[in-house]
Amino acid sequence: MLTIKDLHARVEEKTIIKGLNLEIKPGEVHAIMGPNGAGKSTLGYVLSGRDGYEVEQGEVNFNGANLLDMEVEERAQAGLFLAFQYPVEIPGVSNMEFMKESVNAMRKARGEDELSSAEFLKMAKEACKQVNLPLDFLKRGVNEGFSGGEKKRNEIMQLIMLKPKLAILDESDSGLDVDALQVVANGVNSQRDGERSFIVVTHYQRLLDFIEPDYVHILAQGKIVKSGGPELAKEVEASGYAWLGQADEGEKA
Amino acid sequence: MSQWLAHVIERAAAVDDWLSPVRAEALAKLKEQSWPGRRTEAWRYTSLHAVENLSLPTESNAQAEAPAIKGLDAIDLVFVDGRLTSDLAALNLPEGLTIRSLTDKSDIAEQVFTQVKPSHHLFGLVNDVLATQGIVIEVAANATIERPIRVVNFATDNVESHTRVLVSLGDNAKATVIEHGSGTGHSLNTAFAEYDIADNARLEHYRFALHQGEAIHVGGSHFKLANKSRLNSTLIGYGSQLTRLDVDIIHAGEHAHAKFNNAYLLAPKEHFDLHSTIEHAMPNGTTEENARGIIGDKAKAVFNGRIHIHRDAQKTLAELNNRNLLLSRGAQINTKPELEIYADDVQCAHGATVAEIDEEALYYLLTRGIDKQKALVMLNFGFVQEMVFDMPNEALAEWLQPILKQRFEDMMERS
Repeated sequence: MLTIKDLHARVEEKTIIKGLNLEIKPGEVHAIMGPNGAGKSTLGYVLSGRDGYEVEQGEVNFNGANLLDMEVEERAQAGLFLAFQYPVEIPGVSNMEFMKESVNAMRKARGEDELSSAEFLKMAKEACKQVNLPLDFLKRGVNEGFSGGEKKRNEIMQLIMLKPKLAILDESDSGLDVDALQVVANGVNSQRDGERSFIVVTHYQRLLDFIEPDYVHILAQGKIVKSGGPELAKEVEASGYAWLGQADEGEKA
Repeated sequence: MSQWLAHVIERAAAVDDWLSPVRAEALAKLKEQSWPGRRTEAWRYTSLHAVENLSLPTESNAQAEAPAIKGLDAIDLVFVDGRLTSDLAALNLPEGLTIRSLTDKSDIAEQVFTQVKPSHHLFGLVNDVLATQGIVIEVAANATIERPIRVVNFATDNVESHTRVLVSLGDNAKATVIEHGSGTGHSLNTAFAEYDIADNARLEHYRFALHQGEAIHVGGSHFKLANKSRLNSTLIGYGSQLTRLDVDIIHAGEHAHAKFNNAYLLAPKEHFDLHSTIEHAMPNGTTEENARGIIGDKAKAVFNGRIHIHRDAQKTLAELNNRNLLLSRGAQINTKPELEIYADDVQCAHGATVAEIDEEALYYLLTRGIDKQKALVMLNFGFVQEMVFDMPNEALAEWLQPILKQRFEDMMERS
């Protein structure tokens, strides 16, 4: 699915990712944990192709294609999805038109027919229900005036509707209470079908109680310093990140 | 001197109705006005060349139906080329609402006519002396009128017309009024509306100036706000050969609140000019104005936003924001913010910009697989669509959204 070899990347003048290696096979769920400033969010931005995130060296292969050669929208159309930690508000574009464009762009890329308005609406209603968002939210501006929890659920709703091959969840748990966390986790788990892969980026172990990973990696100072099974997350929970030899600054706003 | 204006003054002398004494005062002021040229501040960027020597018939026999808007359920009043074609006697009006023709003498008409609109608007004076046809809407104190009241104003082809709307909202009254104007032929229409809003009253107001092609449309909506009254107004305009609108919002009482959103979408070669003036004469008032424009190739927009805070208007909070998007190098915007503040304890913000794409929003759309070209269209149109989403009346928003989107897509293709 995804092979990252010796990835180095920088933001502006600062190198954040310093020699990262990762191999993800179809259907696997990988958790990436680490202290703040380790490069967790940067990894998602680099893989999605965000402007200003420059790859200095290394290779990323996504289902046989060189991911780093592709435009942002091409990566998405190829099946890469990034659920944002802080999704942007776009007041003048309605969720409805945004999601319809997006779903149809993905369908087109997969060689499927575009959905009619009625078909789309049916699908959107079901997805809304699944993540517990009221229907009238479809008419509102993208993320406009949403609470932090609603924004996270909107990201998961998009994941459900877009059906990517690989989904990267960037701190999808931050700022959520237990109920909202469960909604997000259930949404994600409903998409685990043995084929779709996930990278779950999180600071805390708590999300991994609900989304059980196959592998856990600890990211620190731009590279993976330790890998293991779900038990590794429990160790982090018990001892924090202090053993990495650097202070954990705690969750930043 | 323009031949057209000379002819207006001639015709005004022949107007004889119950408002004649007031019209005579307006005529005296009109005679003092000189024809605006480039040095006339209020007309600096808008040429009146197309009107200067215009001579069009002043009557037509045209008929038209009010455009249907799904789910609106409005009380419709229709003008065609200045003629009121609705049968007022046949209207089934709710309690607390009275609608009269301007031709019928009434205290309300007397109280409002020329009393809200400032007398410096040249075409307002023309309308004062020539608009014999008009509608007078009276909402009684404490009445809430659920059905929107829509005044439809058609201008057809080869005709000059003048229409007037007078609205009075009593204490604690609540109503929605829509001024819905359109026309594509070679016509001149002036349409002025005055709103007298009493204590604690609430007005939801829309003005759609959807004139296109050869139409010349000059008009204004003018509001006087008494204590604790509230105005929520949305203006949507196209350009046409010449569209000029003046909006005055006068805080004549304390603790009044005005929200004024406006958006203009100019197809290639169109001309649109909006002058808005917010007068804070009394303390503790708030105003929020958002102006958004998208301007097509070789089109020209003029936006002049003035906020005037008088000496007694302490604790005023006023914000005005004008953003414009130019679709090509040939598109033009002349935007001028004007702030005049004579009180010392106020909060005032004023800004005018030529918009740029929000890179973060663009990135977000791209990560969802949307092509860059399409994403840019969505964001550009979204910038105006935001004003539509902000309209409190859902039926109007749902009717307008696809119409504006189609216009925008056509503009993109031609720019």
